[in-house]
Amino acid sequence: MTVVGSVALGACTLAIVCADLRWFRVAQREHYLAGALARFSWRWVASMPINGGLALLAVAGAATAAVVPPAAIVTGGTLAIWPLGLGVRGRTSRLAWTRRMSLVALVSVALEALAVGLGAAFAGLSGAVVAAAFSACGAPLLIDVALMLLRPVEELLAQRYVRRATGVLARVKPLVVGITGSYGKTTTKNYVAHLLAGERSVVASPRSFNNRAGLTRTVNEHLTPGTEVLVAEMGAYGRGEIAELCAWLRPEIAVITSIGPSHLERFGSLERTLEAKAEITAGARVVVLNIDDARLEGLAKRLDATHKVVRASGTDPGADVAVLAHGDGLELKLEGAPYGVAVPQAGSPVPIRTNAACAAAVALELGLRPETVAQRLGSLPGVPNRLQRHRADGGYVVLDDTFNSNPAGARHALDALASEAPTGRRMLVTPGMVELGGTQRSENASFAEAAAAVVTEVVVVGRTNRAAILQGCRRAVTSVPVKVVADRSEAVVWSRAQLGPGDAVLFENDLPDHFP
Amino acid sequence: MSKQARRRLDDRGAFGKADAVGMREGGLPARVAVVYGGPSPEHDVSILTGLQAVHALSGASGVGSVRSLYWSKSGDWYEVQPGAEATHFLEGVPPQAVRLRMISGPGGGFVRPGSGLRARDDRLEIDALLICCHGGPGEDGSLQGALDLTGLRYTGPTASGAALGMDKLAFAALMVYAGLPALERVPLHRDSEQPGFAPPYIVKPRFGGSSIGIEVVADFETARARVGANPHLRRGAVLEPYHEEMYDLQLAARSWPELQLSAIERPLRTRAGGEILGYEDKYVGSQGMTSAPRELPAQIEPSLTERIRALATEVASLVGLRGAARLDFLSDGRDVFINEVNTIPGSLSHYLWIEPRLSFTSQLLDLLTEATARPAAVYSSAGSDGSVLRVAGSIASKLG
Repeated sequence: MTVVGSVALGACTLAIVCADLRWFRVAQREHYLAGALARFSWRWVASMPINGGLALLAVAGAATAAVVPPAAIVTGGTLAIWPLGLGVRGRTSRLAWTRRMSLVALVSVALEALAVGLGAAFAGLSGAVVAAAFSACGAPLLIDVALMLLRPVEELLAQRYVRRATGVLARVKPLVVGITGSYGKTTTKNYVAHLLAGERSVVASPRSFNNRAGLTRTVNEHLTPGTEVLVAEMGAYGRGEIAELCAWLRPEIAVITSIGPSHLERFGSLERTLEAKAEITAGARVVVLNIDDARLEGLAKRLDATHKVVRASGTDPGADVAVLAHGDGLELKLEGAPYGVAVPQAGSPVPIRTNAACAAAVALELGLRPETVAQRLGSLPGVPNRLQRHRADGGYVVLDDTFNSNPAGARHALDALASEAPTGRRMLVTPGMVELGGTQRSENASFAEAAAAVVTEVVVVGRTNRAAILQGCRRAVTSVPVKVVADRSEAVVWSRAQLGPGDAVLFENDLPDHFP
Repeated sequence: MSKQARRRLDDRGAFGKADAVGMREGGLPARVAVVYGGPSPEHDVSILTGLQAVHALSGASGVGSVRSLYWSKSGDWYEVQPGAEATHFLEGVPPQAVRLRMISGPGGGFVRPGSGLRARDDRLEIDALLICCHGGPGEDGSLQGALDLTGLRYTGPTASGAALGMDKLAFAALMVYAGLPALERVPLHRDSEQPGFAPPYIVKPRFGGSSIGIEVVADFETARARVGANPHLRRGAVLEPYHEEMYDLQLAARSWPELQLSAIERPLRTRAGGEILGYEDKYVGSQGMTSAPRELPAQIEPSLTERIRALATEVASLVGLRGAARLDFLSDGRDVFINEVNTIPGSLSHYLWIEPRLSFTSQLLDLLTEATARPAAVYSSAGSDGSVLRVAGSIASKLG
């Protein structure tokens, strides 16, 4: 009994270690949100039935172990590899042992040890085996509990950074431009920084830093004394988050770029998304709104009484600030009056006009001459992996839109693909879009349906949205060949073998490997 | 192996470890720290120079420990792991960096502030600092002045030498005063009068270490308008005639073990219509200046080479050159003009030392030796022996 029991305990401990390493990585990728691991466990079960079977086997083993301890070996063996498809080390992003991660690990392991210890205290070795088996089964849930327990601690630590950042802001006194929206925040932020460069000393939050941690870091580590303008990208997963950022960042100019179904599962509805984003306007002197979005046009009417509202548009020539397509170039119009056309160099990134209009409105509000702004619209930078165009060694065009994906952006990318290879093969490679709440299935299906009318073949990556994309392709009027692959590298190999000069491929979205 | 040498080996690469090795016999400081970054437009380039230096010094013979000290964009100090790579700085301060404070006064320097259970400040034992900061307060004398007050020894220009090198107007005025050839250079502000020379003009920040903020303009009105608009010109601007036909010629100079001059290079213009070597030409691409297009050594008349070397020697003595500087000249192939001095150039201009070839490590070791052998600041209170105080009477009576 002792030998078999020890082996069973060892197997379960091994399973716990493997599961912890695996799920710590997911927790880190999912911003340490409590509950994320339960959701992802379900994702892996739902998209791969075999994982459901294995989970049942593991739980059955743990339950049986109460009577027949060796059954726990089955549990340990199964959970060491569960869920199939989610590696311990990971392909796209390794686990980084940050201070926060170490703390999560410490508390999680303590919870697991406590469970095993209690088991041993009550029923000796066999109790320990049963407890270890159940701990292994429940590892993702135990880590979720650890995340929940640590939330107040992290809150206190975060407040320290906020206090420091508040002090830095009081010393440097930059004018703060806050940018939020469901999509286009990073692009608009980069456009603002570009338009202001050489005219104002600007610091923009790096990459896609847009939450409290990223923005305190921007202020504490990047805000050089003498900075005149701080451009802060602000993201939100729910009500009150933007208001909390605004409480210490105090944006004087607020920009909302769009309202869409991004993070919809956390917001609940688009109306609630709008209300959450509109928190940015509360203390602002000037509000720049993209009125190509009907909800934001509505918000503009509501705010007219209390704020200086600047209406920006990529299509409406009558808007306060409009950036319009003009041949190959962009034209700046202010209340209908033209201020010049700038033609980007051939091969430069595809400009996104609504974002450019919002950025132009900010630059004008900061006192730049319209002529200067109009001229600079000709050299807008691209965001890495946001609809970037390369030519592959095989002579075909690669459109890289893997930054992250949303319904509007994805349609925009399809248009770009259509114009790249009007006569050749047009391949779409996509794992589909995520974070769209209850609409995720239908959004992916209708994207696939729209794609079928444009592309000559579809490559579906992974399992997360496979069913929805296949359904959309079947629904389409024009039938289009579909290839299913496990991951992006397989898709790259496939596209290389298939495409040649005159062809084009669009990589729409990329999911990290903790998605099925 | 001597006992001392063994101890030195033991201390090699000791991250965060305070040790007590002291000075080597030849005067090479054993415990060194590389300083880079800083609230400057050239912050990122400085990181590259600094990391190259940390790499070159780690394991160099005679060097005991190498610390890597990062000065953030916001002005905070950190000690970083010696193995840090440039990409670790992409998002800000690299992970696991330890925040430091600089303390002035005797026995000052860098300390790791105490907290919680460890109430005492931990002083970092450093014999000499290798300064790799470009532009801004790292190259304009601010950092040098602060370090003088801490008592730490450092490489490169003195506070006053750095300040002079950073002030394009004062530097040019000194050249003209000494009778050396320099192009016209006048201060430019919003209500400046039209200068005595003809357009086109080149507008430069008066204080600035790189080509950032430099603009070529067709007429005087545009030049004046740029003063209000360009943030790099806010602290002051200078105006010079722009001569399309002239090109840059540069050489490096170092002051230890004695004054030495490198080969002369001619940077090449890359873009069609690119008026001057822009920031991007110089620095974009991971190798920095080393990969910028150039002619090295420059294919110029031997007489021109001789002239430039003679001028460089005079400039070095006029500005009190210390450390590794780069001197920039302009030439049309016949005449040569002194343009500016860069007191802490990118990569410390090590790529210019092709004859005789000088390894980066040897260059750094010489700089560090100079740092301790020829301190940048020596204070004196001779003359303040109390006699003035004794006869002064009451302060109140002086005000009456």
